[in-house]
Amino acid sequence: MNSMDIRALVLINAKPVLVNDRDHVALAGPPLALLDVAGKSALRRTIENLEPSGIDQVTAVMETNPFYRQGQAAGTRKTDCRVVAPELFWRTCEEVFHQLVQSGAELVLIIRLGAYAEVDLERMLQFHLDQTCRVTRVVQTPAPEVFCISASRRNDAASLFRSGLRKCRSECSFFPSAGYVNPLADARDLRQFAVDVLTLRTATKPAGKESRPGVWVASGAVLENGSRIVAPAFIGSSARVRAGAVVTRCTAIEHHAHVDCGTVVENSTVLPHAYVGAGLDVAHSVVGLGQIANLRRSTTVTVADRKLIGQVAVGAGQRLQSAAARILSLFPQALRRRLTGAEWAQPPKQAPELVPALRRKTPAQREPVGAPTRVHESKTGGEFSSSLVVARRYGDQ
Amino acid sequence: METNSRPVVVKRMPERVSARVARKFWQEVQPFLSVDRPQLVFDLSPVVQLDAAGVEMLLRCMSEAHRRDGDLKLASLSEHAAVVLELTRTERLFEIYESSIDAVRSFSGFLPNAMRQQLLHKRPPTSAAA
Repeated sequence: MNSMDIRALVLINAKPVLVNDRDHVALAGPPLALLDVAGKSALRRTIENLEPSGIDQVTAVMETNPFYRQGQAAGTRKTDCRVVAPELFWRTCEEVFHQLVQSGAELVLIIRLGAYAEVDLERMLQFHLDQTCRVTRVVQTPAPEVFCISASRRNDAASLFRSGLRKCRSECSFFPSAGYVNPLADARDLRQFAVDVLTLRTATKPAGKESRPGVWVASGAVLENGSRIVAPAFIGSSARVRAGAVVTRCTAIEHHAHVDCGTVVENSTVLPHAYVGAGLDVAHSVVGLGQIANLRRSTTVTVADRKLIGQVAVGAGQRLQSAAARILSLFPQALRRRLTGAEWAQPPKQAPELVPALRRKTPAQREPVGAPTRVHESKTGGEFSSSLVVARRYGDQ
Repeated sequence: METNSRPVVVKRMPERVSARVARKFWQEVQPFLSVDRPQLVFDLSPVVQLDAAGVEMLLRCMSEAHRRDGDLKLASLSEHAAVVLELTRTERLFEIYESSIDAVRSFSGFLPNAMRQQLLHKRPPTSAAA
């Protein structure tokens, strides 16, 4: 089988599929297949899954979207990535298929993301050859869109692309698969994918070094003293978890994300370059791109306040620029202070008030208010301190 | 709205509670908070943006109400408000109700029965008042 020229065509244009039997938690942003989950995107994991089967020539075709950055998608140099307008998407797929065939491919594997599927490719290819099929499709629930087409069947491929992978002019053979599959239709699926990767239910593993059982930390991640990471968890490259923060219950902090002091992140995914403010409680959520997708409430809200949820600058240059801007913003204040001799902003008034408030007696410790009760005059009254009021239900008996 | 005891002030929050709006809102509600045992309900149904400043303002209102032996309750939380309050760990500090009516009713809910009866007897019948 290794002598055969097999190539892969990965398509990324899947719109989220609304599933009727549960609440759909949409996340505005790039296709979910491009978002990192425990260190790698579904696209990158799919391409890596192809390599053991000897398929190292991969072409990815994706629709343009404002969140896509050239070079981020595939993450491997071998991948030829083409970004096209939505109206040209299927036409481009058809053209790419022809190019692959002309350049010598004998079999072409078509994978559409959306769904991330782990298929036993060697068995599938063998099935395709044994059955002498024109088109073979993977059958599973939920159904991943994975096809194998003989290069000579250009018309079948064309009909498949023109129908948006819904039907083929000739009958498909169906290859049953029992591998892991995740529809990646919404934030809930994205979160489930992270949980499955961290609990090793998938063949693919978290990217990074397992620093202790169940905790994967990628290179350049900064875990400040006093931060606590409870397994299973993933901390991506150049991510920062500040002092007092707690990361627990299958949480994935993706690359360049920043969790500020004292924040608890529980059963959540913090997307790449997301900033989570100090002293917050993020639970059962996907956070990033200025949004929180709360899975328990089945809702996504946009948070405008950068103190709560923000975005860390994407490029190193931008990060340097924003840090410089922050420092420069202090200069006018310093200058004014120098010129006017004014002091720095006074600390909040709550702090000095706190100490006397703590020293003040609580109502229970104070002297009783009003006229002394009859119990003070009675013989038994002497046994009790003056600050203790004894009330008897039936009078002074 | 008036319960068996004292009046309850129901106030609708603005749609976008930024730092500036929060300051303005605070100024609006301050007179209601400066009375003895203030009873306030904030209706958060229109809220589509709640900043940290807005949350701080809510806490300030609650603390002010508590200082005067009163209470502040929240009602009809929008999705945004609910998520932000949960995120900032403040949702557990407030009593939160499905609707403003429920929140208002809750103010008289804790009165002992004897006291409630007493208040009912004290109140003149509606025909006499008319």
